[in-house]
Amino acid sequence: MDAPFPAGLPFPTAAYLVLYLVTLWVHIAFMNYVLAGSATLAAGLVLGGRASREQPICALLRDWMPFMLSAAITAGVAPLLFLQVLYKEQFYTANLLLFFRWMAILPALILGFYLGYLLKTGPGRGRVWLGLGVFACFLFVGWSWVENHLLSVQPVGTWQAHYAAGAHAYASPELLPRLFLWFVAGFPTMALMVGWQLWDRARRGKGDFSDGARAGAAIGLGGVLASALWAWRYYHLMGETAQEAVAGPAAKPYLFLSIAGGAVELAAFAGLLRMARWSGGWLALGSAGLVLNFVGTGVMNETIRLALLDRTVGLAALAARHAESWKVGGFPVFLFFLAANVALMALCIRRVRRLPSPPAG
Amino acid sequence: MNPPYYPVSDFGPMMKGMVIGSLGIVHVFLAMFAIGGGFLMCYFQWLAQTGRSPHARRFVDGYFKALVLISFVVGAVTGVAMWFVSIQVSPRTIGMMVDEFHWIWAVEWTFFSLEITAGYCFYRYAARLADRDRFFLLAVYSVAAWFSLFWINGILSWQLTPGDWTRTREVWAGFFNPGFLPSLLFRTVTAMTIASLAACVVINAMPDLDREARRALINKAAHFLFPMAAMPVLSAWYFGTMPEDSRRMVLGGSIVMTLFMGLATGASLLIGLYAAFALLLKKLYINGATAALLVALSFAATAGGEFVREGVRKPYTVREALYSTSVTPAEIARLRAEGCVARDPYPLRDAAAYPNDQVRLGARVFRFHCSVCHTIDGTNALRHLAGDWTPAQRRMNIAQLQRTKTFMPPFSGTPEELEALVRLIEWDAAGRPADWPDSTGRGDWPGDRRRIREWLDEVGTAPGFLRSGGAR
Repeated sequence: MDAPFPAGLPFPTAAYLVLYLVTLWVHIAFMNYVLAGSATLAAGLVLGGRASREQPICALLRDWMPFMLSAAITAGVAPLLFLQVLYKEQFYTANLLLFFRWMAILPALILGFYLGYLLKTGPGRGRVWLGLGVFACFLFVGWSWVENHLLSVQPVGTWQAHYAAGAHAYASPELLPRLFLWFVAGFPTMALMVGWQLWDRARRGKGDFSDGARAGAAIGLGGVLASALWAWRYYHLMGETAQEAVAGPAAKPYLFLSIAGGAVELAAFAGLLRMARWSGGWLALGSAGLVLNFVGTGVMNETIRLALLDRTVGLAALAARHAESWKVGGFPVFLFFLAANVALMALCIRRVRRLPSPPAG
Repeated sequence: MNPPYYPVSDFGPMMKGMVIGSLGIVHVFLAMFAIGGGFLMCYFQWLAQTGRSPHARRFVDGYFKALVLISFVVGAVTGVAMWFVSIQVSPRTIGMMVDEFHWIWAVEWTFFSLEITAGYCFYRYAARLADRDRFFLLAVYSVAAWFSLFWINGILSWQLTPGDWTRTREVWAGFFNPGFLPSLLFRTVTAMTIASLAACVVINAMPDLDREARRALINKAAHFLFPMAAMPVLSAWYFGTMPEDSRRMVLGGSIVMTLFMGLATGASLLIGLYAAFALLLKKLYINGATAALLVALSFAATAGGEFVREGVRKPYTVREALYSTSVTPAEIARLRAEGCVARDPYPLRDAAAYPNDQVRLGARVFRFHCSVCHTIDGTNALRHLAGDWTPAQRRMNIAQLQRTKTFMPPFSGTPEELEALVRLIEWDAAGRPADWPDSTGRGDWPGDRRRIREWLDEVGTAPGFLRSGGAR
């Protein structure tokens, strides 16, 4: 990895990584909405009580939470598939070692959805507990994914010891800091997505451009600052190999990209906060910053993973497996149906976009 | 090439196949409900917008809500769960499926995404959409859902009837395999049947409808039961594409398979008879309880069918490519020379519970070779299957495993590993005493070892069904 990603990698490895990252970014956008949104909703219910129901952001989050979870699950299928192609042995081993603990994410997702649905449609009583329940479910899922990832990049010796101990949880010093980084980094994404929704609603005469704008911009601003500070802290908690990977030629341009993206987001949220109303221009700028940030952090994350795996299985061995997988036919068919079905999805959305927004709830 | 070694999870007294089977049946049933439900709603939307049924529009909205709340989330999560459970049960099998068909799976994902998008657009906006737009969204939803089945069906049928893929390793040869079309058509009819029966439950749950209105809707929904008439032909076609040894298992070779096939056939027959006489011929009204019972019967039929589909693949998980032990046919000879657990890096979790190194080796051989289908003392336990055999009988039956039962894979370890497994079973059958001798230290071990090797050499590494006159 002596050149900026993906230039230094064999073509099949690079191609699978690009596909993995692109599909992962779509999943992360929805996932951030769900995790940060459920936290915002729970905080609103705990702190604001009945008044939070009238708060535009909370009302919107309550309305969209079940759909966003469904979208996150659906969008998560593709990166899960490419993850198996890229890091099969590591991912499978971590799954097997965590066993019941890992499998528990499935009932947690189902429970989270139905609690979210109850929060949206059910009676007023117990809403605080429902909100906390939804957040707890999604936080558990996030925790499990972080745990799975950290275990998957360990050497065989760690896997053996973990297996011999019969443990179903992996306690790494990196676990909580990494989970916290993912958590706080979700708020800017959620704030931008909510901002676009409220902006669109106001544009179509169903609300005001100032609805929730100050709160949304503050959440986004706080999220960017907190994630930047925590990323700096997390960098110093990572091992030497990971730090070298971040500062190495493959990831360094993406580190700058990520910082630039964060700065653009910061400027956009500051602009929105000053205006105290949703503006298409500031939201577009913030979204551009978010995309830069996603690209930067996503590539850095994969570069770190590759560097860690290079120590254990070796990049050459991984690349040889990817080259074998690439020989399998069907890629053009995938590209064709991806284009066709994305067009059909756009057509479906266009058909319903002609209608005025439905009332919340 | 050696097989990859993964840490093996212990499911306790549960047989791993039961876990994945149960989940798979729930997932398949929900998926069928979603697929058939799409077409049924298209039909009812058409009835509504052409003035043929005054209550059809209300039915569509009510049915769709049930579909979204049950199928979209539980169906989607159980789909992901199938991947995760498959990893727990047989990582090498799911790994091979992903290796061979990841682009097909990726294509399926694009259709699944389209299905969810169209479905949610309809769910959220249907009440205010014009008929033309409602029909468009339902049609897109239905076609996308059916194409999800189309792609997944190719991968699932490949496991049993890989066709020319075995020779060419070409993805389309594997996808459009001999079982692809009959399986796809059979599943389509099944989906329509489940959707129709579920509709009867939903119609009974709709408030403010009088009995006549319900009867009218039920009679319309029953039109989706007509294709059941094709089920016998489609079953026979699918049956004809199955490998001969798999067919023999269904026809009495394995009584469990025969019974489950009987359950699926009997339940389908009951539904078919009720549909033909009560719903289509007499146009009777059915209440919610009867409708729920029919849905339960359709679940039983699905469960039976899926159990058989999974079971008749034995001794393979991918026909002629991967045995249920996660060993390829090409690896067996080498493992018989070098040992199946010699390179397994994972230690025993309960090593101190065994009396000596030989039994510990037996426990590792059991974990690698047997634990995917068997337990020591739970369901489908070695204690019950082989606990009462004599030592010589155990040695020979395990050495010639594929001959003992043709749906068992060949044993793929050294004579020492086989003897260790035999001693593990004996030790367990003897009540797990603390003091237990190592049989390789006895004077008759060289003779026993030679006999085991002769049995292994005599039976070879080919699957048992070939020895009993079966065809590939």
